Amino acid sequence: MCRKDTERTMRLLTERQLEAFLRSAETDYDVRVPVALRDGTRTLGRLDDGRLALAGGAIPAKMTNVFFPQMDRLLTAGPDGPDIPKPVLRPLLVVGFTAQDAECLEFIDRFYAENYRDDVYFNRRDGAVIVCVSGRCGPQGRFLEIAGGKCDMEFICDGQSYLVLGYSPVGKALTEKLAARQPAGTATLTELQKESDSLAREDSRLLQAASRLLLEEKVPEEFWRSVSDRCIACTSCNLVCPTCTCFDVFDRVVDGKVQRWRTWDSCQLDGFMREASGHNPMGLEHQRTRRRIHHKLAADPKRWGQLTCMLCGRCDDACPTGIGVKAVCREMVSKYGSV
Amino acid sequence: MKRVLTTCPYCGIGCMFYLLVDGDGILVGVEPSTQHVVSKGQLCVKGWNAHHFVNHPDRLTLPMIRRNGQLESTCWDEALDLVATRLKEIQAANGSDSVAFFSSAKTTNEENYLMMKLARAVFKTNNVDHCARLCHSSTVIGLAAAFGSGAMTNSISCVEQADCYLVTGSNTTEQHPLIGSRIINNVVNNGARLIVADNRKIRLSRLADIHVRWKNGTDVAFLNSVMNVIIAEGLEDTEFVRDRTENYEQLKRTVADYPPERAAEICGITPREIVQVSRIFAAAERAMIVYAMGITQHTHGVDNVKTCANLAMLTGNIGRPGTGVNPLRGQNNVQGACDMGALPDVYSGYQKVAEPAIRAKFKKAWAVKYLPDGAGHAVTTAIDAAAEGRLKALYIMGENPMMSDPDQNHVRKAIERLEFVVVQDIFPTPTTRYADIILPAGSYAEKDGTFTSTERRVQRVRKAIEPVGQSRSDWQILCDVAVKCGYGGMKYSSPEDVMDEIAALTPIYGGISYDRIDRVGLQWPCPDKNHSGTAVMHAGKFARGLGMFSPARYRPSAELPDSRYPFLLSTGRCYFHFHTGTMTRRSRLLDREEPFPFVEVNPADAAELRIQNRNWVYVATRRAEVKAMAHVTDVVGKGVLFMPFHFEEGPANLLTNNALDPVAKIPEYKVCAAKIRSAP
Amino acid sequence: MDNSIDRAADRFAERLGVIDKHTLYRPFNCTLRSVRDLTPSEKMFRLAKLEGGPFGHRPGQFMQVSVLGIGEAPISVSSSPTRGDYLELGVRAAGTLTSALHRLKPGDEIGLRGPFGTHFPTDEMKGRDLLLISGGCGLAPMRALIQYVEDRRGDFRKVTILYGAKSPDDVLYKDELRGWRNSKIFECQVTVDRVPGGTCWDANVGMITKLIPPLQIRPDDTTAVIVGPPIMYKFVIEELCAKGLNAGNIVVSLERHMKCGVGKCGHCTIDHLYCCIDGPVFRLDQVANLKGAI
Repeated sequence: MCRKDTERTMRLLTERQLEAFLRSAETDYDVRVPVALRDGTRTLGRLDDGRLALAGGAIPAKMTNVFFPQMDRLLTAGPDGPDIPKPVLRPLLVVGFTAQDAECLEFIDRFYAENYRDDVYFNRRDGAVIVCVSGRCGPQGRFLEIAGGKCDMEFICDGQSYLVLGYSPVGKALTEKLAARQPAGTATLTELQKESDSLAREDSRLLQAASRLLLEEKVPEEFWRSVSDRCIACTSCNLVCPTCTCFDVFDRVVDGKVQRWRTWDSCQLDGFMREASGHNPMGLEHQRTRRRIHHKLAADPKRWGQLTCMLCGRCDDACPTGIGVKAVCREMVSKYGSV
Repeated sequence: MKRVLTTCPYCGIGCMFYLLVDGDGILVGVEPSTQHVVSKGQLCVKGWNAHHFVNHPDRLTLPMIRRNGQLESTCWDEALDLVATRLKEIQAANGSDSVAFFSSAKTTNEENYLMMKLARAVFKTNNVDHCARLCHSSTVIGLAAAFGSGAMTNSISCVEQADCYLVTGSNTTEQHPLIGSRIINNVVNNGARLIVADNRKIRLSRLADIHVRWKNGTDVAFLNSVMNVIIAEGLEDTEFVRDRTENYEQLKRTVADYPPERAAEICGITPREIVQVSRIFAAAERAMIVYAMGITQHTHGVDNVKTCANLAMLTGNIGRPGTGVNPLRGQNNVQGACDMGALPDVYSGYQKVAEPAIRAKFKKAWAVKYLPDGAGHAVTTAIDAAAEGRLKALYIMGENPMMSDPDQNHVRKAIERLEFVVVQDIFPTPTTRYADIILPAGSYAEKDGTFTSTERRVQRVRKAIEPVGQSRSDWQILCDVAVKCGYGGMKYSSPEDVMDEIAALTPIYGGISYDRIDRVGLQWPCPDKNHSGTAVMHAGKFARGLGMFSPARYRPSAELPDSRYPFLLSTGRCYFHFHTGTMTRRSRLLDREEPFPFVEVNPADAAELRIQNRNWVYVATRRAEVKAMAHVTDVVGKGVLFMPFHFEEGPANLLTNNALDPVAKIPEYKVCAAKIRSAP
Repeated sequence: MDNSIDRAADRFAERLGVIDKHTLYRPFNCTLRSVRDLTPSEKMFRLAKLEGGPFGHRPGQFMQVSVLGIGEAPISVSSSPTRGDYLELGVRAAGTLTSALHRLKPGDEIGLRGPFGTHFPTDEMKGRDLLLISGGCGLAPMRALIQYVEDRRGDFRKVTILYGAKSPDDVLYKDELRGWRNSKIFECQVTVDRVPGGTCWDANVGMITKLIPPLQIRPDDTTAVIVGPPIMYKFVIEELCAKGLNAGNIVVSLERHMKCGVGKCGHCTIDHLYCCIDGPVFRLDQVANLKGAI
């Protein structure tokens, strides 16, 4: 497979045509798309949940929640033992990933696959088609980086319509179904790619610098104390983060059946690591504040060989007191290092 | 996955979020609204967990009747019949006022309106009240006297516009997190000044320009002294005082008795701190007073509130964005429950039951010949009346007086003495144990309606799932009871019908309709359908005309530490739990954070008493002794203990003092005398 | 766009096969064979597979133990696989799950997942002197190792066992400890922090750290293993270092609040390590420099 192959199947569609295409895909797929809800909040939903809202950039909720939702059943058991989880009838087709979201997904795919394969996650993830949205459709007219091959398929906005590209075999097959549409000029794609390549990478340099400071242990406790003074332990940073994978497990007994659930958890909570004895290796506020950022920028690079913050910006938006990853890195680097 | 836009059931900020419902009709998560004026895509930890308790297996799902001392499940018809007949029998034997109704700040406006209508129109009594009595009754009375309206004067968005805050008796980041965060941001990013006057070293005090750790209960002396300094140094807003207020001379005379030296001694602080606070506050262009239970829950709660109002008027900090006197309401709909007239002396919109013209209006609208004119029992005095045998029956909707009211033994004796107790709730509580009938109610996620937030914003609550088990929405239950009583005026097809009736009868809600608040709520006063609501009250003119200076003198709290009970015990809430814990203790992550009853002890006291962090201790007052886990922390000052009241197994309200403010009848939760010892 | 796009696309294509396995979080049922009291708050449970056969564990590993409807908790195995096709778990009633376990009776079924985690490096310990130091509940996993060593005694040279508890009442496995103390094949010392009045006690009194200085240790030929409450590690390690042991010859087993046991839930992380899959048994030099590890 080569680039030519991808370009051969490329199509140009209006948003309305795309919507028709996505509706037709519903026979084979459980289709999730960015929609605007009742009060205008954008989220990932079914086509009937609200107006299709491809433009506007990253969905405020993390995209990875389609595979790892806030609450998820691990098992149900009646008196005769565990029940078999419901099979997924149709694989998911999920539209609306940004390039950063696709990187996040790539990481948590790795995370849930390695060592022990998390079958509850892959129950939804396997067979799912990942579609990125990019180009001239970001918030306040900003350009969204083109994801390229990090997904199965991509909708690249040229300002009016969307170039549809298939990358993986399934993405290509889906794109090819759109045969009747007029093909797009290669020039436009090249232009858009150029525009994408020229996007500023300041945040990424900042993150690298912050990561180095953490790995070299140049950030004193005092810094974390001052940040933690501003943390109200809302846990939003974790709950909106596409690479946060932590969960808690609890049982419920309903009508004689045991349900074992997992639910998103947060390392910003004192109870996260507290042991039954009361001992807590992360029992101080500033240790928890440090933990989250250190984990993404120092611990994960040691373990996985990569930073696990892809700069999607969600924690910066969701933090009520302005201590998301970018803000903290900015402060850290300005105090203890240089970009 | 279905997503339903609704309003958070916890504090009074009124964040809106989407509830996520899975294919089995179970709530499986929360997604913040990015478009909402307050939430803006953010939530606090309780908001993020607001779905969790709804499908908890403990939910009450069947009506229950006590037979031979045991609660047994029954059908709705029998339960409702019994409620109607027993209440009527008791009234026939003992008079209308032998029955009282506790409404609920957790239920919707429509439900509170129906509860007060049921009490007044069907049972002909003004014995209707709710837990606002225990939190902000002093605010409602104090601010009504000063300004003519008892609500938060400004809006949450105004918090971002202040350039100085006086935060007193409010642990804002824990109890009103998304207001606390606005203060933090403005202080950190824009250099707004922050004065924290609180014995506890709350999070905001870490970022404060000055943290005054006064002795609990000395608020009036402190604030009077601040005004003393402002007047002495000529820092008052003379123009505002002249044009907008009355009774200034009396204020001047009163505060003249509180020079910093004298007040500092009462408050246990330095005169310098008082002078500093005065100068910082008076120098601000837009200074905002933010308070909560630390001001209101005293035997001098009304005095505290009036004194805050005095300070705001003296410095002209009212009627403009970024200023005002801002009592933060602690429950999702405590503002609305008050607005709806679930109070013993007013109908909806604070229309007085004592006024014949108002009664006539309601008589006509409700198609009844008679409505009672005398003020009824408050929550606190109803319990006293029950203890004395004067009250015979109690209908409790969504309240848990066994845990929320002061001096639990007193409450228990009172409830035990009642002939008939109806409890309508979503979970079993210590109060349902004393019920003769339990009516299983639907949670916020199972019904339509409205909540009114602390900034007077009337917002939609929407049904996300079907009622759990056989539970029914409170509004339906109340209407069913009215029908059983033979009253034809409480038949509604939906809560929207109820709101239309409220709007027609309630001037401040006159312009509210479900259509208009579909996406964004409206802030009352909103008198007609063309009015866009009121963000800042008292601009240009107070609700009562001129602002009334109502000076007060310092009165010590009812029970102060002595040699036998050397500690001052203050009670309140913690961040992760809410009120009597009915919901948060059934929310996995929230309960994990604080799974045990606890008491905060200063490290110096702990060292003296050989109490170690996380060890068990006994806390005792003249009323009882309670076992709790010691949290050794300098959040509390030396000689002070702080205990939250969420825990059934270590109930702080066994300990508290049932001493009331003479006017507001609010109990003194914030000060009583206690001792503490290690549990063996 | 270069070839990396297509390479990435290929990677995606590889993942498309649907795997129908739902096993990771599902416990298998075991029979509770017997229960015996160890201390007033600790019991020992012996479990066997319904269909019989070994559990496949090695000393130092743990199981995720389920009581359906209550929850799941990690519990270290306190028996050696060399003893037969059963598992023994020493459990203190500390939380809701462990309290529920305490209510179970022989014949009841218990759900298990595992064994999980790293084990004591018994292969590398062959031919060496062993210094096995445990405190409090730490004797539970240590017992598995001691039994293993006992059964393969010829593989190891001098074996010294040190155990400390708060008070005589808190001492676990009293009979076995007595056996080890009387045994010729071990040197075994027991100590308690304090002896309340009216209690019989015939061994040492004082902190466990006091037992180390008098020992004859050949630092380069000795492997020390430490399992105990969090506070113990730092002080014991200091004593061992004073004896000339280096971090490569010290093995620690760390307890963390594990939820899943399989490196997913995140509750047991220590810097970049997951205590449940990279541990609980670590060589000290793996974790010595990580914040919050020891």
